[in-house]
Amino acid sequence: MDLDALKQELNQRLATDHAVRSGSDLGALLKGKTSSLLGKLKRSLLIEIGCCIFFILLMTYICVATNHWSLRLYFGTFTVLMFAFGILLYYLYRRTLLLDQQATSIKKNLQDYVNLLQEFVKRYFQFTMALIPICITFSIVLSNADPIHIPEAEKLAVKLFTAKWQLHVFLVVYMLALAISVYYFTKWYLRKLYGKYLDELKKCIAELED
Amino acid sequence: MPSEKEFIALLNENQRIIHKVCNLYMDSHADREDLFQEITLQAWKAFTRFRGEAKFSTWLYRIALNTAITFFRKEKRQPDLYSTETLPDFRITEAHDPVEEQVKAMYMAIGELSKIDKAIVMLYLEDYSHQEIGDMMGITPNNVAVKMNRIKTRLKEQAQKHMNQA
Repeated sequence: MDLDALKQELNQRLATDHAVRSGSDLGALLKGKTSSLLGKLKRSLLIEIGCCIFFILLMTYICVATNHWSLRLYFGTFTVLMFAFGILLYYLYRRTLLLDQQATSIKKNLQDYVNLLQEFVKRYFQFTMALIPICITFSIVLSNADPIHIPEAEKLAVKLFTAKWQLHVFLVVYMLALAISVYYFTKWYLRKLYGKYLDELKKCIAELED
Repeated sequence: MPSEKEFIALLNENQRIIHKVCNLYMDSHADREDLFQEITLQAWKAFTRFRGEAKFSTWLYRIALNTAITFFRKEKRQPDLYSTETLPDFRITEAHDPVEEQVKAMYMAIGELSKIDKAIVMLYLEDYSHQEIGDMMGITPNNVAVKMNRIKTRLKEQAQKHMNQA
């Protein structure tokens, strides 16, 4: 029993449909929404670009409306950063558009998918990681240079910490813990979203190169 | 601008290609439906770039296989075992027909192959040459020949195993 002997039988069985589709059925399918990863990626990029624009507008407003120069500097910097992030998102969106609608070889298609996804994951990770030192530096510098008094927070600090050094140690530990947890959370989250899928695609490429 | 009518007519003539890909890459009815829709949509999007340099059937094979291999399946629907139960034609055939048993066993063996090997087998079953399969897969014809030999040996062994188990 080998493949060649069963060629005709297999061809016939495999071409069997579970539901007969007419021309109008096929026409109706063309109105549907794609569920491919590329389609999902495109939709999520568009949503993120929208969020980016919203935050740019919000932060610009705070920047103009506030009387504190520290807040102005903080939100001004993040407006610029958000703008840069928006450009990055748009670049990734353009790349997904280029990748779409291609009838290339299977190997080339897989390589394009992997390259795009890897770049997407890499840029996201880099941007998130870059935000950590920027946020920490800003919060330290600006809270010393232009302290904003919040009575409730000050009362709580007095209650919890008897000496000033204790407060400083707490803040250092808090920032370190925050940085480490953001680092691992981002890694875990990106791996959860695309890790398994990327591994599967890479396995297919390796198999073709074998 | 390509016409929707023209595309649907071509697709209608060649829809067996999509059924073959769906039947081989997906085990459940729901997954096959999803993949069928996805291939149709991807083909329609790509049709604007179809210049007729290759045959429509060859072009559709490329789109269908690319879509099936990169298809992001919802995990909850993933079956534990590959079976012939959900394939319509297998359900209505008589039991203990030797040819039928062999086809079933071979089908199950093909189902256990990797996504790449399934694509090669599918193109081989369509009588594409090693050169054409290589072009579609993005590998050399020699590589196709080597892989095909390995696949045939593996299929023979696996199909035999399924026959013995039946």
